[in-house]
Amino acid sequence: MDISQGFITFLRSLLLTMVPFVLAAQGTMLAGRTGVFIVAQEGIMLTSASVGFIVSYKTGSLFYGMLAALLVGGIYGVLIAYMTTTLKMNQFVIGLSFYFVGVGLSTLIPKLVIGVTLTPPLIPTLQDVPIPALRQIPIIGDIFFNHNILVYLSILISMLLYYFLYKTSWGLEMRSVGENPKAADSLGINVSLQRYIAVIIGCMLIGLAGVYLPMVYTGTFTEQMTRGRGWLSSALAFFGGWRPLPIFLGSLFFAGIEVLSYRVQVQSVGIPYQFLLMLPYVATILVMMLTFKRSTTPAFLGKNYDREKRTL
Amino acid sequence: MFWWYREIMKKILSNTFASYFLAVVLAFIASGVFIAAMGYNPLKAYQTILFTSFRTVNGFTQTLLKFIPLTLLAFSFTVPYKTGKFNIGGEGQFLMGAIGATAVGILGANLPTYILLPLVLLGGIVMGGLWGLIPGWLLYQFKISEILTTVLLNFVSFALVNYIATAVWGDPTAGHPTTLPIGDGGHLPMLVGNPPLHSGIIILLLVAVGIYYFTDRSTLGYDIVATGANPRAASVYGINTRVMFVLGLLIAGALAGLGGAIEVAGIQHHLIEGMHSNFKILGIIIGLISGGSSLAVPFVAFFISILEVGASAMQRTLMIPIEVVYIVEALVLLFVLLSDVVRRR
Repeated sequence: MDISQGFITFLRSLLLTMVPFVLAAQGTMLAGRTGVFIVAQEGIMLTSASVGFIVSYKTGSLFYGMLAALLVGGIYGVLIAYMTTTLKMNQFVIGLSFYFVGVGLSTLIPKLVIGVTLTPPLIPTLQDVPIPALRQIPIIGDIFFNHNILVYLSILISMLLYYFLYKTSWGLEMRSVGENPKAADSLGINVSLQRYIAVIIGCMLIGLAGVYLPMVYTGTFTEQMTRGRGWLSSALAFFGGWRPLPIFLGSLFFAGIEVLSYRVQVQSVGIPYQFLLMLPYVATILVMMLTFKRSTTPAFLGKNYDREKRTL
Repeated sequence: MFWWYREIMKKILSNTFASYFLAVVLAFIASGVFIAAMGYNPLKAYQTILFTSFRTVNGFTQTLLKFIPLTLLAFSFTVPYKTGKFNIGGEGQFLMGAIGATAVGILGANLPTYILLPLVLLGGIVMGGLWGLIPGWLLYQFKISEILTTVLLNFVSFALVNYIATAVWGDPTAGHPTTLPIGDGGHLPMLVGNPPLHSGIIILLLVAVGIYYFTDRSTLGYDIVATGANPRAASVYGINTRVMFVLGLLIAGALAGLGGAIEVAGIQHHLIEGMHSNFKILGIIIGLISGGSSLAVPFVAFFISILEVGASAMQRTLMIPIEVVYIVEALVLLFVLLSDVVRRR
């Protein structure tokens, strides 16, 4: 294997690894743009991974598994939106509660449905879908056009979100809710409705990010298999300044660190592997040190809007 | 027609304690329905969950041993919570404290108890405190959300524990990443020999009183509470709120670190990978149920310890998955939070 071949494999695995980051961070971003800061990603991803895996295992269809993951995400979305937007409960408290709920459910459900088995139950991993003509282009075709469906979908969703938020009037309305809900309200925009929609769709994307792990990486569900990817996605939303395209690029960067840390582990270069395991988290903190101050965040991120209150 | 019902509800809701009690009862009923739906007998499950701690001396000791680290972890959540900050890094700070305690205990293995034991505990406090100071500094200097940094540092500490328990002081005969034992002088003296109960409970009670006094009775504690209640008003009043944030996280780290040190000095006598896994994020849950009140934390922590000890017994004797207790705990939390909402109206 020459160097160029190695480079192609590296780029290919970048696209493969970025997907959970893209989906979860874009979901976080969408809700955040209306002012709801979701911090339950880790829990939502784990429950979706667990339920999506079980549904696939029982029905033999990965498609149903994905639908189940979207549904799980949607349910979390409804609950989070209701408690934060309608009941005006503290967003972080609610997020942490659902994080806890999600972690618990993710291990409880497999125990109830499948029970304890000696060998882990397996599902077939998601197959690559080469794109007919484009696949034939040398190098580019190998890197970009021979992936599983969720890779294409995550790219598509990023582009759609960009178009939606910046090129449509609905997107503008949604952004205004996160920047100044009072002004948005006075213009006749339904603040609660916008928040509900953004949070529910956002949580569905986070759910899809979760089910990617068993469907592409492992073929089975294991406890805590997200390994902090949900939290990293929150960091990513900040890193990308809550904008779809920078978040997409940031996901590539995060994926790069993850791929690199695995690569170096395999090639054993003398660094204890535990320090390579730390790499994604330490790198994220370092990146935040460089970018956090300059990063733009929606002005109302994390704050509930109460039209009865005079002060914002 | 239902005036008496309304009167009773009004009475209950006007009393904080009664409304929380009602929330807990409702949570148990709701999770009971859930347990029944899973095909288990909820009454039997609750019987085991609630009474295991009081049926035998061993059960009660188990509960106390859980109660010590859980209370410290809960305080490590509530102290920064009072400043309006969220410490999700209790686990990591706990482990760093365990690392600090183990390092001191191994390096000073030959020292006598009256020197080594305080140093071991101090090692835990210092290391945990440092691990809390990092997110504090990142928040102070770079305005990075402490929610993210504290949780990211957890993952760093997991890897660090593995490194120390294998490559630095690893015990090759253990079969699981474990360090060599700390010196005998680092062991916490036993209060009761059988079933073993170490004196960490006394330290805990002192700390709990100290924290209550600090947050609810001292001037600095008042500054901390004022910062959390309204940062802008606090800074107009002359409180340096950013320093309060750092202080909160520093204290949080030190408390969780002390928890890790007590776990090493009192029970494990080694650093073991995964030694935090019995506590996970329960500290946060206890802190949230307590609503940040320093007075409530020990009581809630004791209640959760009862549930946890009872739940493992339930899994052993009734074959009901231990995760059922997550449902109970999660619903207790949600119902308590909801009762606040109802009371606000």
